Amino acid sequence: MSPVVCNGQSVELSEEGFLVDPSLWNEELAVLLAKAEEGLDQLTDDHWSVIRFIRGHFVANNNAPMVRSICKTTGVPLKRIYELFPSGPAKGACKLAGLPKPDGCV
Amino acid sequence: MPELDELESRLDALTEADFQQGLEVFRGKLKKAEASYLNSCVHCGLCASSCHYHRMDSTLENIPAHKLELISSVFKRNFTTMGRIAPGLVGAKPFDREMAKAWIDAVFGRCSLCGRCSINCTIGIALPKIFRAARAALGAMGLVPPDLQATVDNSLLHGNNMAVTKQDWVETVQWIEEELQLETGDPGAKLPLDKQGAKFLFTVNPREPKFFPLSLQASAKVFWAAKEDWTLASDGGWDLTNYGLFNCNDEQAGTITKHLVDAMARLGCKTLVIGECGHGYGAARWEGPEWLRKSYPFEVKSILELMDEYVRDGRIQLDPSKNTAPVTLHDPCNLVRHGGICEAQRRVLRKATTNFTEMTPNRVENFCCGGGGGQLAMARYKQRRIQSGGMKAEQIKASGAKVVVAPCHNCIDQLMELNKEYQLNVQIKTVAEMVAEALIPNP
Repeated sequence: MSPVVCNGQSVELSEEGFLVDPSLWNEELAVLLAKAEEGLDQLTDDHWSVIRFIRGHFVANNNAPMVRSICKTTGVPLKRIYELFPSGPAKGACKLAGLPKPDGCV
Repeated sequence: MPELDELESRLDALTEADFQQGLEVFRGKLKKAEASYLNSCVHCGLCASSCHYHRMDSTLENIPAHKLELISSVFKRNFTTMGRIAPGLVGAKPFDREMAKAWIDAVFGRCSLCGRCSINCTIGIALPKIFRAARAALGAMGLVPPDLQATVDNSLLHGNNMAVTKQDWVETVQWIEEELQLETGDPGAKLPLDKQGAKFLFTVNPREPKFFPLSLQASAKVFWAAKEDWTLASDGGWDLTNYGLFNCNDEQAGTITKHLVDAMARLGCKTLVIGECGHGYGAARWEGPEWLRKSYPFEVKSILELMDEYVRDGRIQLDPSKNTAPVTLHDPCNLVRHGGICEAQRRVLRKATTNFTEMTPNRVENFCCGGGGGQLAMARYKQRRIQSGGMKAEQIKASGAKVVVAPCHNCIDQLMELNKEYQLNVQIKTVAEMVAEALIPNP
């Protein structure tokens, strides 16, 4: 997949559009991925609280959080998560938070 | 692409012993009848138009008979007299680095093991069986795409394919129970964990607790309405998936199957109920006893069969006017063509909706969504997966449906991507979600 250019730096994406190197993530990159991958022109406060929680969980635990933790911690209701991220928590929210693609049927 | 490099460097490192090991495993997987298929193709070409890969990209490499040819040429060279004496005359070819690479591309990269070629084959060659034997051979040589293998390893190490911890699973079940109680207004609505001696042990796809628990809530709501005696296992044996079906390592597949068998024994349940999942049903219902080399002391059913019985026996009442948008149904290959569960979901949907339309073709002639056979787990083939899914996207568009029901979580994920890539503007749901929506609460 073609790389995204963020602050003059070229950042490589996997075939699935996930960051090849998750450590390169920053919030500007999340904005660019939101537009390129999810068609989102603007990220609301709800988007950001979900993205920041997922990112923090990943940095601490090296995996994606359960959607339950996302809802309980951010206060964003489950159905709203699917509206915020049309590709869902994995291919939408986790991708924007710079996580690698989760294993399994996703 | 770090992963691609990983496979390439593994190819570079192959020794003669690795190739011999691969050949041995390949030979061991083929029964006599299947070996005879390797010399049976009459090159009629019917398989080409039956394959969604070839329908969406008509290169030679996408013709199932061509994929078969790659495999039979190696078989002839190594296991037939004429192939050894006069390889050039019979199209026999050595198993070398380039051939191994071509096998990977053919059986992992251009096949979802959907079996549509096989049922349309003039002489009924069991192509998926042969492609699975080739995958097993490649596996013995360490040539399974790493992300597919990682999904199997998760199941072996953690008891489920997304490495969900027991605590996370149990907390999610409890959370969904609270949600179900809010939804139904019944504090007695439960998602029972480890209920000893329950009639049914219900199993789910880890994707549900991890990211998409509304389908679990819907299934639980149906059980609640039917007053069913059911349970979930808290630890080991709640995950219905088995990617051993896709890496084709029968020993690993058997170990994963044993998680379910052990949970059934531990909890003393009568029937193992497989949630809405194609490969999980095929693996548990049909392949599991083969992998374990013994029959189960219990029966296996799909939740689709249970819902069909609930409707038939009047244990649940449905109001189809709750689902009036045009609905169509996707037939997961492992559930329908390979699995034999074909009519139950249709009977249920006709009772739960007012505007049900079939896709064309359907049932055993359905087209794969493009995400089967482990394709969803192998990132390197994403473009082909989306392109080959174009066949399904065309079918959905032609149906005019606004809701696509797919009784398989793997298919659902692929359909969600097709929805985006091909701008289908549809909603994608499980059968249980449609039923849960239409349920008339018991008096």
